[in-house]
Amino acid sequence: MGNYFGMQTSTTAMAITVKDLRKRYGDVEAVRGISFRVTEGECFGLLGPNGAGKSTTIRLICGLSEITDGHIEVFGVTAYPGNRELKRRIGVVSQDDNLDPDLTVRQNLELHGMFYGLTSATARARTQELLQWMQLDSKLAEQVRALSGGMRRRLVIARALVSRPRLLVLDEPTTGLDPQARHLVWAKIRELKTRGVTILLTTHYMEEAERLADRLLVIDHGLILEQGTPNDLIERVAGRECLECQATEDETAPLIEAASPLPSIRIESRHDGLVAFGPDLDGMLDLWDRAGIRPASYYRRRTSLEDVFLRLTGRELRE
Amino acid sequence: MIRPPRWPRISRVALVIFRRNFLAWSRYYKSSVLLNFGEPVTSLLAFGFGLGAYIAKMNGVPFAVFIGPGLLAVTAMNAVTFDMTFDAYDRLNVSGVYAAMLTTPVTASDIVAGEFLWEAFRSLLYGMVFLLVLCLMGLVRSWWALMIPVPLVFAGVMFAAPALWVSTRSRTHEQLFYYFTLVITPMSLFSGVFFPLQHLPPVLRTVILLTPLVHVVRIIRALVLGSFPPHIAGDVVWVLAYTALLTAWPTRSLARRLTG
Repeated sequence: MGNYFGMQTSTTAMAITVKDLRKRYGDVEAVRGISFRVTEGECFGLLGPNGAGKSTTIRLICGLSEITDGHIEVFGVTAYPGNRELKRRIGVVSQDDNLDPDLTVRQNLELHGMFYGLTSATARARTQELLQWMQLDSKLAEQVRALSGGMRRRLVIARALVSRPRLLVLDEPTTGLDPQARHLVWAKIRELKTRGVTILLTTHYMEEAERLADRLLVIDHGLILEQGTPNDLIERVAGRECLECQATEDETAPLIEAASPLPSIRIESRHDGLVAFGPDLDGMLDLWDRAGIRPASYYRRRTSLEDVFLRLTGRELRE
Repeated sequence: MIRPPRWPRISRVALVIFRRNFLAWSRYYKSSVLLNFGEPVTSLLAFGFGLGAYIAKMNGVPFAVFIGPGLLAVTAMNAVTFDMTFDAYDRLNVSGVYAAMLTTPVTASDIVAGEFLWEAFRSLLYGMVFLLVLCLMGLVRSWWALMIPVPLVFAGVMFAAPALWVSTRSRTHEQLFYYFTLVITPMSLFSGVFFPLQHLPPVLRTVILLTPLVHVVRIIRALVLGSFPPHIAGDVVWVLAYTALLTAWPTRSLARRLTG
């Protein structure tokens, strides 16, 4: 990985420009007009529940699906299926491990490199280098079927890097991994970032988004709900702190009622209690005391991206 | 939007796909060889020598000599068709091998070209091994048989195209069987492999002459026997035309499946 990128990039260069993007499948509009930009060297996260339009957006950016309306450019190259110039710039880690089950670990990487036009000697050298970097070099000659889930995932990421892409697209890179494997993958992604690779990431793990992404876009039903840095989103959408307590439905109503004089307090009922957000939680507790209904147990905690996500996308299950 | 080209494009990338298929095949070739030769060799023994004992001559040659070249053509067709149906279906729908290729500069057109190159090779390989079996049994009558690689290469591409198209159109494994039951098996039975066409009802004969296998069978039989009836020129034209027409078929369908 020594000379992964020889190039020096200016910090203002645009990696991805998405403009008024729409995608329709039959009668269903999966993406309903979204626009955003990703600058070079940035790690950009796409968040949203299942069916929000994340994977569709990613497929469109990678030139894997026809755009219904709108425009995408990746490093100045227009995205559409069959655009070889586009694909040369992008490495893709898809949601499912689509490794070639009939080939060995080494062959999987080498042939992938040769699909990019690498000579077999170059592909072989990079394969060696990447497998070492991903701690898979002992598995060189193994059949892909014999690998564990974590190894397969690392191999898919290594495969996406064999062409030394300027943009790495990661669609749920750590889903299904154990914590050890997940932390290794995170470390590798951060390392790539320091080398100047632009990263586009989707994930269901808010911790992952918080750790890796410089900026986030929350989408649902094909539309953008919010965007910003993780801290900015947390502060703006959820506030710094919240108070959670367990309560029955009968207990919840008077608690909400008692807090109503404080307009800055926002209370969400949950299946088994409530969560209060806002800058004046102490004021709310005072009001509860005065009404004589302070709950026996509650706890205050810092808010997280998870609160932001649930606030923006609601609590109904998405199947 | 740029439409994918209809004709597969032979490029360096197509050769990489060929290489991929060769590497994958070289892991399985032992079982794959048995699968592909068990049936035709059994047919040759059962019909050629078993049934052949009751048939004096077929079109002027011993029965085994008559059916040998036909079974060679069927072997090549089956080797190609199995690969382009069940295996291609898996690469498209199960393992995601095609989808992974498409994230690289490889296009659907390259995939089709690479697969066709590979199927030309498979047809050649399985056909020539079967020719060797015929030689060892003394069923080859002419040095013209050395020309058999040429029709085999064309047959490989010609049979690959409709099979790949069927795979791009099938939603389940079961649907692939229809192609065998409704197309491949009837073609094997009626294309002059086991008996000449001349005594069939004229309508049936016309229908058969519109299908591809019969022409391959007649060309290969002519080369094995070293005798060239007048219809051979027509057979050659049919094979060339079918190959040219059919190869344009699956590219768009595959592209649509992969980039829907």
